[in-house]
Amino acid sequence: MQKPISTAKALREWRLYLFVAVPLFFILMFQYFPAASAVYHSFFEWDGDDTKRFIGLDNFRRILGDTTLWNSFILIGILVVANVLKLVPSIFIAVMIHRLKSDRAQYWYRLLVVLPMIVPQLVVLFIWKFFFDPNLGPLNKFLETTRLIEVLAWFDSTFFAGNTFRTDAPIAWLSQEQLIVPALIIWGFPWIGAVGVLIYLAGLQSISKDVYEAADLDGVSAFQKFLYIELPLIMTQVRLTLILLIIGTLQSFGLQLLLLGEGGGAGGRGMVPGLWMYNQAFVANEFGYACAIGLVLFFFILILTVINNKYVRVDK
Amino acid sequence: MSAPNKNRPAGAPKVKDWPKHLIILLVLGVELLPLYMMLQISGKNNLMFTENPWLPARLGEWQWENYLFAFELIAPAVANSIFITVSTTVLTLFVALLGAYFFARYKMPFSNFLWAVFLFLMLMPGVANIVPLFMLIKSMNLLNTLWALIIIGISGAQVFNIYILRNFIEDLPKDLFEAAEIDGAGHFKQLLHIVIPMSGPIIGTLAILSFLTSWNEFLMPLIFLKDSELFPIGVALIYLDGEYVKQWGAIMATFLLASIPLIILFLFTMKLFVRGLSSGAVKG
Repeated sequence: MQKPISTAKALREWRLYLFVAVPLFFILMFQYFPAASAVYHSFFEWDGDDTKRFIGLDNFRRILGDTTLWNSFILIGILVVANVLKLVPSIFIAVMIHRLKSDRAQYWYRLLVVLPMIVPQLVVLFIWKFFFDPNLGPLNKFLETTRLIEVLAWFDSTFFAGNTFRTDAPIAWLSQEQLIVPALIIWGFPWIGAVGVLIYLAGLQSISKDVYEAADLDGVSAFQKFLYIELPLIMTQVRLTLILLIIGTLQSFGLQLLLLGEGGGAGGRGMVPGLWMYNQAFVANEFGYACAIGLVLFFFILILTVINNKYVRVDK
Repeated sequence: MSAPNKNRPAGAPKVKDWPKHLIILLVLGVELLPLYMMLQISGKNNLMFTENPWLPARLGEWQWENYLFAFELIAPAVANSIFITVSTTVLTLFVALLGAYFFARYKMPFSNFLWAVFLFLMLMPGVANIVPLFMLIKSMNLLNTLWALIIIGISGAQVFNIYILRNFIEDLPKDLFEAAEIDGAGHFKQLLHIVIPMSGPIIGTLAILSFLTSWNEFLMPLIFLKDSELFPIGVALIYLDGEYVKQWGAIMATFLLASIPLIILFLFTMKLFVRGLSSGAVKG
């Protein structure tokens, strides 16, 4: 960190302010101004044109009674929990790769982990949408070929209503109400996150081979090694990915928009808060109300971020 | 979560690695299944796929015309995407270098305040901004232009890039700057001839991250673009997905062609790619 410079020198170096003016312009214009505008317009009834009407807190009163929104918060809660559990395979694979003796093998597996990143995320999503296709989709084909569908159908008819999985009709993963949430969770199986695996591996790097040898001599089991040697070392990374993941999940609605459409799929089962905001703005033309929803969402995320900054210290 | 060698006798000198290899290969195999399916279906028509969904078609029966169809469909979108992504990446880094240079060089009056203005953005989730941003772009008459996407891309990436670059520039040896000043070089010249040549690797890493973010973006183009000739790959694929009669072979071929620029980038910058992704975790 540099020391403050004298006023005389600062006056001489005034041109430096021109440097910061450029990025400052961008963030003031395209980040702060829209944010302020969102706050302002959340008090208006506004269809996106010039006509707007001040309605005070009506938008927020409407939010209190908006069951779609509150249901969407329940769904996003479920998805957050699911996404947190989905970190486990990445940690598992990172530890596995790290424990290999051959550096060459480690290098090649790392490359294989990164390989899916060369395909745009959207393409991976669309391939999964294809996997879910009722008639041609590989998921249903797989269930039929392996006869797992009969197991599912038996399970369904024994313990549940028996109308979700049937042997006489293809499973419509993305259009059957009760299957939408499971489909939103299943996609991406086995949920190996390239970025996650790479940063866990970076964290594990600091364990020397001696530690393992000592542990082996003491007869420490593989799981104990994980618990006492490996997990503590990647805890910082895990906490970091965890909080980014939670905030990211709360904001995201691209997945739902692409898989299920603007309405959140059959019965609105796949509706998440971000998508509801998008829907109110660009489908229902209620821009004022959409701004209010955005603010509520912002508020939730802000609380989480503050908690995060308070309890999760990231040393770099 | 336990490894396969759990039941081995205590203190055993040799641990076999092959069960680990087997598990890793199995998991990664499933993970790579979408890529495999894309590759093999891109050479089939719907009938061939129904008859043989899992194995690739024989080379003699490979449906090469799928790629022709895909090329005509996606080539303009790939060109748009390259234009948007390259412009966004270059401009983002240039603007961020300006900002980082200001914060790293001296501690000017108001430095701390301005720094706080930048850092506060890390607390603000972007999702609430989408609607007013749409209105702002509309009032600037930038709706339905590629520049809208570039500008939004630049402004969104500033904080992270300035944060990383500032730390890097602060660590550069001070006498370099002093020597340049004695030679009468202004700040812009110092940025150009000292900072940029010396921060090659970090700029490369940040460029890859920025490239990936911009390349994968589909929500902003979907909201801001109307004309199909302006669509980047994301939106083009969304519209392709909306067609009723689906020729999966042709669609998969399109997906494959849409991935080629990233594949090329990946081949040439493998090391930076892996490092860039690892450091992407610091992104707040």
